[in-house]
Amino acid sequence: MWTLARKLLLHDRLRFAVAIAGVSVSVMLVLVQVGLYFGFMDTASSLIDASSADLWVGKAGNESFEFASPFDERTYYKVASTPGVEHAERVLMNFAQFKLADGGDLGVQIVGIETTGLPMLAPWHVIAGDVKRLAEPGAIVVDRTEYSKLKIDHVGHTTEVSGVRAEVVAMTKGIRSFTTSPIVFTDLRTARSYMPTLGSDAVTYVLVKVKPGVSPLVVKAQIDQLPHLAAYTTHEMSERTRNYWSTRTGVGAGFFTTAILGVIVGFVVVGQILYSGTLQYIREYGTLKAMGARNSMVVRVILAQAMISAALGFVVGGVLAFGMQAAMAKANLTVALFPSLYGVTLVVTIAMCSFAALLSIVKVLRLDPASVFKG
Amino acid sequence: MNALALSDTLPGIAPASAPLARLVETGKVYGTGENAVTALAGASLDILPGQVTLIEGPSGSGKTTLISILGLLLRPTSGQVWIEGRDVSRLGERDLPGLRARNFGFVFQGFNLFPALTALDNVAMAIQMKDPTAKNPRGEARRLLEMVDLGSRVDHLPADLSGGQKQRVAIARALGGNPPILVGDEPTAALDTKTALSVMELLRDLATNRGRAVVVVTHDPRLEKYADRVVKVEDGRVVSISGENV
Repeated sequence: MWTLARKLLLHDRLRFAVAIAGVSVSVMLVLVQVGLYFGFMDTASSLIDASSADLWVGKAGNESFEFASPFDERTYYKVASTPGVEHAERVLMNFAQFKLADGGDLGVQIVGIETTGLPMLAPWHVIAGDVKRLAEPGAIVVDRTEYSKLKIDHVGHTTEVSGVRAEVVAMTKGIRSFTTSPIVFTDLRTARSYMPTLGSDAVTYVLVKVKPGVSPLVVKAQIDQLPHLAAYTTHEMSERTRNYWSTRTGVGAGFFTTAILGVIVGFVVVGQILYSGTLQYIREYGTLKAMGARNSMVVRVILAQAMISAALGFVVGGVLAFGMQAAMAKANLTVALFPSLYGVTLVVTIAMCSFAALLSIVKVLRLDPASVFKG
Repeated sequence: MNALALSDTLPGIAPASAPLARLVETGKVYGTGENAVTALAGASLDILPGQVTLIEGPSGSGKTTLISILGLLLRPTSGQVWIEGRDVSRLGERDLPGLRARNFGFVFQGFNLFPALTALDNVAMAIQMKDPTAKNPRGEARRLLEMVDLGSRVDHLPADLSGGQKQRVAIARALGGNPPILVGDEPTAALDTKTALSVMELLRDLATNRGRAVVVVTHDPRLEKYADRVVKVEDGRVVSISGENV
């Protein structure tokens, strides 16, 4: 059956090429759109995912990770003294103005962290400079991909943030914000100096490491009892942030709608190609049925054509998606391609081509073998 | 056509007087009530091994209905169709493909060969479709093509074959699975005279030397010399069978 299916497909190479192009574009669209979505979501939760904290504690009612309301340090001490907490760290996050070399300003997302010991949140993927200098007043760490936006070109660059001195002491690679404002790591005290309106003891999040043998969920429940606070496991915080950006901004619906459109395009193209091929060979299929071939045998030939189209289209589309991933990386866009995404896309492709074959299958199932005697 | 070569290579079906298929008072009516149209009425016919039966008649006379019912492609509205010793006229679609595969090979005016497949692949694929468990269908296909004098053309696509050669491929395909009855629907109509006669010689040889029952619908009276019987059909009725009283 596979041989017959392959030869029927290859007999009209142009039509076969159109079918493969249709499936390939569909596969590429699905991979790139869903990959872009996951890339954006990874970006949205990257700070949380990179932390080693067991719990993130913020002000109750905060919906957005980036736009969270701060609280004062007394709350930090309440959290730190909760039974089961081994260690707690303060994080201050908010937006500030970064002075550009040309005199302009750019909004940046300040991430103030504690820089003593081994902090639960710290810059990662450091590719240049000395991140240990972050404890120095005015020291900041920025990402290489944001250099053009920030109009800086080297570690050691000095500027001002909110009118306060800042010096780039280290450079990371691949740490970006979903809000498009560059992330600027700095020490907690420096961060407070960049955002004086928040108060001198402002804290946005408290990161918690629980004692060995203690369940984070137990500690979380205890912290939740504290007034005006909400605690989340790191995984919950990550999911919460992803869901916020996915649902509140419509970005998820946008990407998945395009992916679905890709599947529809592939479905229509493959369906049309298979159906026209079936019509072309309808007398031959009728002859086979007249000679005693069961419907299942003829259906298998059509399904085999669909599967060949799916397999080849998937391979070509997968390679194209890799190419798109590389091209988009140059534009600082992350297309997250991973094995399970390929696996799901393969299943979608097979389902798409199988459903596209339905019209052809119905045609041959309804084909009256006696029709071969009618002209 | 080389009759000796044919008789040397094709496994025979022992000639016998018992019919391979029998139509008993079969009729076919399309529609109901005032809209009813009788395509065939009370047709009785025995199909005997080793015989070539021509079915002749004007267009619309019921020839196609007759061979469609005989070939189990169409269910009669009255009468009986006996195959393999039983009346199969009321069998459902689930049972008919197997019966057709075991008993019939079909040859058409337009050949109906897959243009994407070589002669060998066309025949082998039909063998495999008829019997998915068939052993070495390509070997069997090659043997059948050699039998119809196309041994040197097995790898040719239909587009590279003449009309006569295409019909020989179609005959080889019809012989796949070794069915006892070959049904031809105007198998020579698209061929020039010489080629048409050559194809009929081949069919005649299959009947004479291999015991096949050959049933051919035709408008061409020149083919009568190859026939054991000529069945005349008019207005949905079998009006005469040469050598028999109807």
